[in-house]
Amino acid sequence: MITFKEGNLRIPKWNRRVFMVAGGTTAYRKYFPEYKLEELVMMAFKQMLEDNDLKMDPLEVKGLINYAAYGEFADHFQDQLLCEAKVHDYLGLDPLYNTGIKTGGATGGTTILNAAMAVASGYADVALAAGWERMDEVDTRTGNYYISTAACKDFETRLGRIYSSYYAPMANRFAWAYNVSETTRAKIAVKNRLYACSSPYAQQPGKHTVEEVLSGRISAYPLRFLECCAMSVGAACALLCDEKTAFKLTDHPVEVFICGGTHTLRVADRRPMEIPLLPHETPEMYKDLIKEGARWPGFESFLAARFAAWLVYRMAGIHNPLEELDLVELHDAFTISDLQTYGDIGLRPYGQEGDYIESGDAYYGGKCPSNLSGGLLGTMHAVGATGIFQAVECLWQLQQKYDKFHGDPKIWKKWGKQKPKDWQSLQIPKNSKQALWVSHAGVGSHVTVGILRKSW
Amino acid sequence: MKRETRKVKFVGRVAPVKQSEPQMVIEWPRSLVHTHTYGMLSPFFKGLREGKLMATWCPNKKCPEKRLWIPPRAHCPDCHTEMKWKALRNPVIGTIYTFTEVVYAGTGIELSTPYWQIDVEIPGLATIPKSYLLYGTPYIGMKVQAQFRTEKPTNTVLDYYWIPAE
Repeated sequence: MITFKEGNLRIPKWNRRVFMVAGGTTAYRKYFPEYKLEELVMMAFKQMLEDNDLKMDPLEVKGLINYAAYGEFADHFQDQLLCEAKVHDYLGLDPLYNTGIKTGGATGGTTILNAAMAVASGYADVALAAGWERMDEVDTRTGNYYISTAACKDFETRLGRIYSSYYAPMANRFAWAYNVSETTRAKIAVKNRLYACSSPYAQQPGKHTVEEVLSGRISAYPLRFLECCAMSVGAACALLCDEKTAFKLTDHPVEVFICGGTHTLRVADRRPMEIPLLPHETPEMYKDLIKEGARWPGFESFLAARFAAWLVYRMAGIHNPLEELDLVELHDAFTISDLQTYGDIGLRPYGQEGDYIESGDAYYGGKCPSNLSGGLLGTMHAVGATGIFQAVECLWQLQQKYDKFHGDPKIWKKWGKQKPKDWQSLQIPKNSKQALWVSHAGVGSHVTVGILRKSW
Repeated sequence: MKRETRKVKFVGRVAPVKQSEPQMVIEWPRSLVHTHTYGMLSPFFKGLREGKLMATWCPNKKCPEKRLWIPPRAHCPDCHTEMKWKALRNPVIGTIYTFTEVVYAGTGIELSTPYWQIDVEIPGLATIPKSYLLYGTPYIGMKVQAQFRTEKPTNTVLDYYWIPAE
């Protein structure tokens, strides 16, 4: 049984406020022989410095950086140890210190957490958070095998050698426990892939139907291929800084709050425990949740995500996420992981996760839309970049720059695409104040939950 | 001083070119064998070869966790005491907690696809270990019995699996 002592539950507090002022990304592709990895990172870095309306010359902004955090999921994929050194040199940032971050699918979120810690502690006034992945050096099945080595190699990897086979049992259990229809999962795939149609960075946009998703090929039952994320090549970066520098660089900075949680690598080892309650929840809400033979978090929920949300809502002073958040970017590696997370971060009570989709709240124009970026299903999962890309999309949304970064035909052309004639803006309303993003690893081994708050 | 005339030769394998235009892309072969230890968990894998499911348990009387562990751990995560071993009595009967049919598997898969991967609750365990069903169609709540590959063992976790027990 997991029990906590007082110190374990201390709410993280920055020593000084941390802000995000700029972001950059590449497009994402399954196969990207046009550029080497460090060239892709440079392209994201240049977009961050040059295209974010910062009030200083790009090289002067670069001159403010004094620390870098770099996210990369797997050395297997790049086949290059110390890739961080190669990228850092290529960006022309030597001899400033850099740290490589590795927390599986949560690498991007953890990279931002690390850069934020550098600013909050005073080590840096301006810190770069950048991440990347090059997953095209091997074929898809081998890529899936590499990823499955992020399951326990002694007790799990050999039983599937593909991550969909570790999420699919959760989908079956979730459907059994909460009586959720496959249609709800399919709607998530349809929604996120549709939103990817508005993104010049998207790898697998598409206008699909629920019927098409459900009649598609199965990876591991019940997960269809269209319910599984992209395997990508690409890079993203974000610039974090202290309050004084933030307002020197932009009139539109956002404040950053981010916390993490962890849980067992093996789902097998999750022991039942009391549900840590979010600020708006009460024990009465869950007295009938656990039916006979069930347990929390079981295979239905993620303790790591719940714990990260538990911390960050208190750190940022959020009382009711659905009422106070204007946008969320969730880690939809699989439709089921997206669905499970709605309960963990309190968009719905546990057991009612499906209603977040069915009610329309999750859609553009809804109460709290999710994954307008196209998410991992529609746009990208270049793992080390993912949590950074999601944060940058939240930043641009709060800054009212969705159209600038998604609707400019020149950006489409830069990545060898033509802006669709029926392109639609997914800009959230001007009065939006706060966005949340989730960066998630393994079957919930590491999760960060971050909040960006408009500060002007 | 005698002049050295021996020249360095290329003794590798020429990297085949997969694409020349516009960028040059080559093949980069990787073939490696790692040595891997089961460490203090070796009794579990030796046990499978003998037709036994070996679990660990914490002998610390003050520790709140009294249940057994499979996958086993050499040390208790709650009190750090070195664990003891216990063989589960055969036949081991468990209940399917959840399952999936693995249709598309990653490179190197050692089971013929499609197959049913199952997570099994075993009485007395803190954990719900993952394995596979040799035949039949699983459902949540189905009773299953553990079986062992004692002949021609693979020396991996694949040396135990389950069959329907109802």
